[in-house]
Amino acid sequence: MPETIEIQLKKGVLGLCVLALLARADSYAYEIAARLADAIDMGEGTIYPLMRRMQAEGLVETYLVESQAGPSRKYYRLTPAGRGALQAQTTEWQAFARAVDGIVAEPTSTQDTTDRGADL
Amino acid sequence: MTRAEFMARLKRGLVGMPTSTAADILSDYDTHFEDGAAAGRSEAEVAQALGDPDRLARELKAEAGAQRWHQEKNPSAAAAAVFAVLGLGAIDILILLPVLMSVIGVLFGFYMAAIAIFIAGGAVMVAGPFAGFPGGWLAAILGGLGLMAGATALSALLTVLTIWLVNGLVWFARLHYRLLKPALDAQSHDTAGDRS
Repeated sequence: MPETIEIQLKKGVLGLCVLALLARADSYAYEIAARLADAIDMGEGTIYPLMRRMQAEGLVETYLVESQAGPSRKYYRLTPAGRGALQAQTTEWQAFARAVDGIVAEPTSTQDTTDRGADL
Repeated sequence: MTRAEFMARLKRGLVGMPTSTAADILSDYDTHFEDGAAAGRSEAEVAQALGDPDRLARELKAEAGAQRWHQEKNPSAAAAAVFAVLGLGAIDILILLPVLMSVIGVLFGFYMAAIAIFIAGGAVMVAGPFAGFPGGWLAAILGGLGLMAGATALSALLTVLTIWLVNGLVWFARLHYRLLKPALDAQSHDTAGDRS
């Protein structure tokens, strides 16, 4: 079931993506959700449980910014712990991606595989 | 789904959470609709992109339950965490429930045994010296104390086991719960819509 693999992969990297976005600039939930929904095609609603969890874990913190139109807006920024988590997860992700790339892109002669297939 | 419908279903799903937390969550989603409208999207579009409100509510509740369990390790937090996690439907309840029930039953039995041994130890210690306990009054008091200490140790051990059990359950559910299920549902709706 390729769909399941896709879900698990996205689920695993969603937190990393949010950390990476926030490392570039503080942001608010709608903006984060819109960016991620475009990029990795996730349900926008899932950003809120994720942000609450990350806030509870001390990876992000919120502050309010006054806006001219409507109520003040809640912005998220990384905490030092969040930066640490980003660094650790980035290293982990890059090592993982390199390993998978190495295996997927490994040059194999098609002749070999068909021979082996025939033997079986 | 309209904005009002989405918010009503979300609100219904969050019943049982602390009111301030629920209000906070609701205002987050309210703002999301505002921002969506400002970006020129219709209410139905935003609601569709957000996903199923019932499922989101279950997820938010489970997350809150797990947080509470991590902060305060007491029976009511444990029960809240377990029920919130079961509410996710992440665990195949039909398979897990009998196992869980027997484990909880065994733990409960041991707790009762520990309490009984403790009381019996107390009785031996207090009544033993007067009732002609074999070995004399000192043996009765020491034996009673020993029983009580043993019971205390047993219940401490059981508490540790119970904490492990709840931790394990929370961890298991988090591992298996499909965070992006709503996204997939939305996709399949889209393709179904395209085909018709």
